[in-house]
Amino acid sequence: MLHPILSPPGSTVLLMGNEAIARGSIEAGVGFASAYPGTPSTEIIETLSKIANHIGIHVEWSTNEKVAFEAAYGAAISGVRSLVAMKHVGMNVAADALMSSAYTGVEGGFVIVTADDPNMWSSQNEQDNRYYGLHAYIPVLEAYDPMEAKEIVKYAFQLSEKYKHPVIIRSTTRLSHSRGPVKLEETPKIKIKGKFKKNFEKYVIIPSNARRLRGKLIEKWRKIREEVNETPFNKYVNNGSNILIIASGMAYGYVMDSLKILNYRDKVNILKISTTVPIPEKLVEKALREVEKVLVVEELEPIVENEVKRIAFEREINVEIKGKEHIPLKYELNVDKVVEGISKLLKIRNPLIEETIKIEYEDTVPIRPPTLCPGCPHRAIFLELKWAAKRMGLKEIIHCGDIGCYSLGAYQPFQTQDIILEMGGSIGVANGLAHTVNEPIISIMGDSTFYHACIPGIINALYNNTPLLVMVLDNRITAMTGHQPHPGTGITATGKKTRIIDVEGIAKGIGIRYVKTLDPFKVNETIEEIIKALKYVKEKRETAVLIVKRACALMISSIARRRGIKAPKYQVNYEKCRACGICYNQLNCPAISSIENGKATIDEYLCVGCSVCAQICPFNAIETLRKPSDEWEQLWRRD
Amino acid sequence: MEERLNMEKNIILVGVGGQGLITLGRILGTTAINKGIKALTAETHGMAQRGGSVTVHVRIGDVESPLIPMRRADAILGLELIETVRNLTYANKKTILILNNRVIKPQIPKIKIPETEKLIKIIKETGLQFKLIDALKLAIEAGSEITQNVVMLGALIKTNILKDIMNLKDVEETIKMMFPHRIAEINIKALKLGFEA
Ligand SMILES: Cc1ncc(C[n+]2csc(CCOP(=O)(O)OP(=O)(O)O)c2C)c(N)n1
Repeated sequence: MLHPILSPPGSTVLLMGNEAIARGSIEAGVGFASAYPGTPSTEIIETLSKIANHIGIHVEWSTNEKVAFEAAYGAAISGVRSLVAMKHVGMNVAADALMSSAYTGVEGGFVIVTADDPNMWSSQNEQDNRYYGLHAYIPVLEAYDPMEAKEIVKYAFQLSEKYKHPVIIRSTTRLSHSRGPVKLEETPKIKIKGKFKKNFEKYVIIPSNARRLRGKLIEKWRKIREEVNETPFNKYVNNGSNILIIASGMAYGYVMDSLKILNYRDKVNILKISTTVPIPEKLVEKALREVEKVLVVEELEPIVENEVKRIAFEREINVEIKGKEHIPLKYELNVDKVVEGISKLLKIRNPLIEETIKIEYEDTVPIRPPTLCPGCPHRAIFLELKWAAKRMGLKEIIHCGDIGCYSLGAYQPFQTQDIILEMGGSIGVANGLAHTVNEPIISIMGDSTFYHACIPGIINALYNNTPLLVMVLDNRITAMTGHQPHPGTGITATGKKTRIIDVEGIAKGIGIRYVKTLDPFKVNETIEEIIKALKYVKEKRETAVLIVKRACALMISSIARRRGIKAPKYQVNYEKCRACGICYNQLNCPAISSIENGKATIDEYLCVGCSVCAQICPFNAIETLRKPSDEWEQLWRRD
Repeated sequence: MEERLNMEKNIILVGVGGQGLITLGRILGTTAINKGIKALTAETHGMAQRGGSVTVHVRIGDVESPLIPMRRADAILGLELIETVRNLTYANKKTILILNNRVIKPQIPKIKIPETEKLIKIIKETGLQFKLIDALKLAIEAGSEITQNVVMLGALIKTNILKDIMNLKDVEETIKMMFPHRIAEINIKALKLGFEA
């Protein structure tokens, strides 16, 4: 079926914010797009990758955000319009290139999308990347719904090309992952080949050039500050009130809905700001001069608020300005919080706290933490790690964890992720701990994470004689963010075949002497191998690498279903089951639960046939009903 | 028409990852905009692909932001009972509940899960109007257990909450547009079974 973003111009379709951003870039004539996946930004490139072959543009998953950024920059300096997308923390990885890109500028339009994650729905922090714009002298644009997101992408490309300067679009989880009507427009002819014109003074930022470029950057910034007063996305409505509400990005929608609830939509003045950095100073000044009281509503940091206060101070405008006093600094905004904030400002009653219904449930509703899927190879390896430690009589192993589905190993019953900092942290942090503590150190990373940021850390470990065990949990895909291919999969973002760059080859190539690949679904063998590897590290005081290879169960079971390949089947023999609970408590597989007498039962709809429970049952009570077929085995290996 | 412009309907879909809540949100949103009415949807969920709590907010009509305020849901479509009880904070005295009679165990070792009867008792005590549906049974009857979500959608359409916006036929059209023929057929059967339940 045709992707909805390729519906004919003129039609209105329901698009996710990220799809709208993708469509906007096509309507702007993007010729090159790259990213490393990361929630909530992933669907931008995912959408473009699905239609790339159809419209003939280059779309790629890069190994990390820095590479993605540099690649898109490379395309842009050749005159091809390019887009790079990343989650907010990805910007930290790309920051080195980002800062300098503002000095050199570009040739073709260059748009950087950062998708921030207020509330940390799927992230380790809630940094507000609008600061990067202030930091780097790069404009930051914010939209409030998918329709505006599409339009603002087009504007971003125009602005970028006009000033030959990068432009940032800041989305958030709520914009990226909400859906709304988007009207499609014509797409221009796309330029996919450019020409790089050598320019020593512009593109070679050695200090002498950089000094000059810094002066030029400040001059360019002055012009952009003027320009943003004219954009149609910043909108001022004067309703003749002495109160002004300023809202940026998503906050605008919350403000409009809150004012509707409060019956105040036409009783206050409203300034919608979409160019957060730089702020449209003239527009702000005009709006400030017409009122006595101002409330700035924005998500996370007080960036607009601080700018508005600066403008009021510099231009001696005597108004009362409130922001984070009434609008929370942390977590995601919503209508409830904005109604509360506006009610406080207006000193009126918050109507949302009425109409309460009686609910008595506090102690009845258990939390529902995310969990490893049935048959997930990570579950097997975590159990094996624990059992290996037990067999060796090791009480204290330090598991340096990383980011991916396997982060869930931090929870009960495994607790085999003792530190999680950021992507690549598993190996970096281990490099320090291994020299300062006596406990054995295991650094645990996923395959995508290995390519992203771990290789320099492993080289560092070997170089500095660091005694540690590295375990790469190779489930043959980037699972957590929704199954994007990576350099180990032999396939590109647009479905083209490519060489497999395998983990084992890299480890050996670096010079690691102890490298082994294990199958986590062979429980005893894997436990033995972990023990051997830990002994090797202890005796030789050297870095060893174990690659634990089995494909992601979620991916495999959906492929198997499509191809009609039947999974093996297991069943509990109640005569033999002694209700020890090892399968449902220690393995904690969602497909296994206990029945009244404590015996185990397997849910046939959930079970994907990994066989691990059958192997660990001390009473051989889990029996094979259908053996794994060759096809099934092959599917799971995905070599 | 005037009335329709000012109208606002808020439906919250709650359940567990993998139950097809996001697809339901897409079906509802697409049907509304196919009828020329604005719709915004949002999904909130944590990090795992599967197994965590999921809520999908569907707002139709005169709305500018995608999250439903507390106590402002016109209907709660509960695909799982623990999640339904967790999200009762979205209900006011007029909210209608359409519920799948199903409890899915959270994946915590040694956890005691609340009994179905207890959960239903909590729901009853709110005094809200509710309808309980055996979606699994109807989904299997339609041809696949994964159509439970669409069975529940059929039941939602039956309540008339969305009667000024869409009817069963409109939803059928969207399903035909969104899915390949064979899958669409099973889903339309599920939709009708839910409608008649
Ligand atoms: C710098 C940065 N970029 C992207 C992400 C988003 N992210 C979280 S986990 C992950 C990939 C995990 O893949 P892998 O290491 O293969 O583990 P799996 O989920 O497959 O177990 C990504 C891209 C992030 N947290 N930080």
